[in-house]
Amino acid sequence: MPALQTENVTAGYGKTPIINEISVDAEVGRITTIIGPNGAGKSTFAKTLVGILKPMAGRILVNDVDITRMPGHQIPRHGLAYVPQNDNVFKRMSVRENLEIGGFVKKGDPAARIEELFEIFPDLAKAHAKKAGLLSGGQQNLLAIARALMANPSVIVLDEPTAGLSPAYTSVVWEQIARIAQLDTAVVVVEQNVERALKHSDLVHIFVAGRDHVHGPAQEISALDLPSIFLGRSHSSEAA
Amino acid sequence: MTYYIFTLVFFLFDYFILAMGLNIQYGSTGILNFAYIGFVAVGAYVTGVAAMPANVTGEHYILGLGLPFPLNTLLGGVAAMGLAGLVALITLRRLRTDYLAIVLISLSLVFYDFCNNDVSLFNGADGLYNVPEPLTRALGLSSNGFIIFFACLTGVVSLLMWLVMSRIMRAPLGRTFRAVRDDHVTAAALGKDTFRMQLKSMLIGSFFAGIGGGLLIQFGGSFNPTAWLPGETFVVFAVLIVGGAGNNMGMFVGALLVETLLVHLPAFLPDIPGHPGLIEYFDLALVGLVLMVMLWFRPQGIVPERVRRTPSFGVSEKPEHEAGRLDRTTALAAALGAVEPAAGAEEGR
Repeated sequence: MPALQTENVTAGYGKTPIINEISVDAEVGRITTIIGPNGAGKSTFAKTLVGILKPMAGRILVNDVDITRMPGHQIPRHGLAYVPQNDNVFKRMSVRENLEIGGFVKKGDPAARIEELFEIFPDLAKAHAKKAGLLSGGQQNLLAIARALMANPSVIVLDEPTAGLSPAYTSVVWEQIARIAQLDTAVVVVEQNVERALKHSDLVHIFVAGRDHVHGPAQEISALDLPSIFLGRSHSSEAA
Repeated sequence: MTYYIFTLVFFLFDYFILAMGLNIQYGSTGILNFAYIGFVAVGAYVTGVAAMPANVTGEHYILGLGLPFPLNTLLGGVAAMGLAGLVALITLRRLRTDYLAIVLISLSLVFYDFCNNDVSLFNGADGLYNVPEPLTRALGLSSNGFIIFFACLTGVVSLLMWLVMSRIMRAPLGRTFRAVRDDHVTAAALGKDTFRMQLKSMLIGSFFAGIGGGLLIQFGGSFNPTAWLPGETFVVFAVLIVGGAGNNMGMFVGALLVETLLVHLPAFLPDIPGHPGLIEYFDLALVGLVLMVMLWFRPQGIVPERVRRTPSFGVSEKPEHEAGRLDRTTALAAALGAVEPAAGAEEGR
């Protein structure tokens, strides 16, 4: 059973749908990536998953629990964590405080969990007392990911985690994403960088104009004429 | 001279309380409450009518409970909190930042006009007067003795409230307030009910406003609409901005510089030759000037918000099996090892 299931989800702003009838399954241990041209509805999809936007139609299930109409703040309790795009840390708080905030979903002292995460992210350990706003952009993204892991989620949704990063640091972030997936976690990544997404993902969905244009294993998607799809010159299909 | 000094001391401590209330709302939670002085007024009026006897010739007001200090003041704080809860329920769900500020200042103006014109509630434009001076009879205090006593009492109350507020700010609740202030979307994504957090912040801050107002009316013995013109809110904001939003000690510094030295001290200074009474009208101009200078050169305030101290970190040297932790994150660390950034990796954002 997939940790995350969306069934024909339609969502948007006001009464205008941006994404239409999207069905995406994300399984534990695998990276599912959403790519597509600007304005395709990738971030809208991510925001719908985490309750920032409410679907107009369709269902969203996390570990078989229907979260479709659930208030956004209750969703993390059901095992779904979200890492927003850019400006995703509390800049005036210390690194440690950022992590503590992420741990409040679960009862108990977050100190032990923080120490575990510092072992995984040694850069953050060194900077634990620093203001998060003083970290580099890449470190801030790693902090946001670490903070999401504080709640030990079964699904983690990352909205463009490498946006604005240099190629070198992009590799570091993707390396971490791959490792998170190996930890009984379903990873959903919204990504602009097609090459990176195809290299690291298990399953890829290409959104075009708010629809799931084509999806399938990354290797099969790689074989498609992607420039044509991104420029809207290809019909939708399923690669799988 | 004693009267002047202890009047300034009273205003220092009273505005310290008021600024702490606004600080938790704006400095910690980011609620731009331009109606703050309205909650101070509710606290003052309710404390007044709770302290006054049922019938005083020439005054019209509700309640008249004749309650002693501190019960009357606490009632004032609770009343301000109650009104804040009502206002927050109406406004906070749908409005943020500048839109919220516009609605709040509008509500403040409506409430001001209502209190100014309706005589039955708090005696209209005349306001409440002859409010009993607390504990004067019991302690046998003279008029000047009361000023000294009440200024010191306000100091003790402000100290207690500072201790309470410091505890709140250091607690997980305070951290969550700051998370909501910095990014309410991310805070919600981390499982925080941002509306409930803002509501709590409004309630706590307004309780402080009510207590500050309650002390104010008992110190002066009277309170009327000229004491809480909506513009007075910006004096409390000036205290907060000059002192340093997000830092309670900054509120004390702000109260000392703005309320005590700029607003009240000029009234006690000798007249400018040829311009009698002019000097006491300088206060708001001075406050505006200082506010502009601060926002331009030191927007973080004199005592800026500090990063909270955290316990010193030491990565456990024990092997994972000895540490006895076998959850998923630990398993990841153990199985895959920690990740260092790639050599020479530099982010480009």
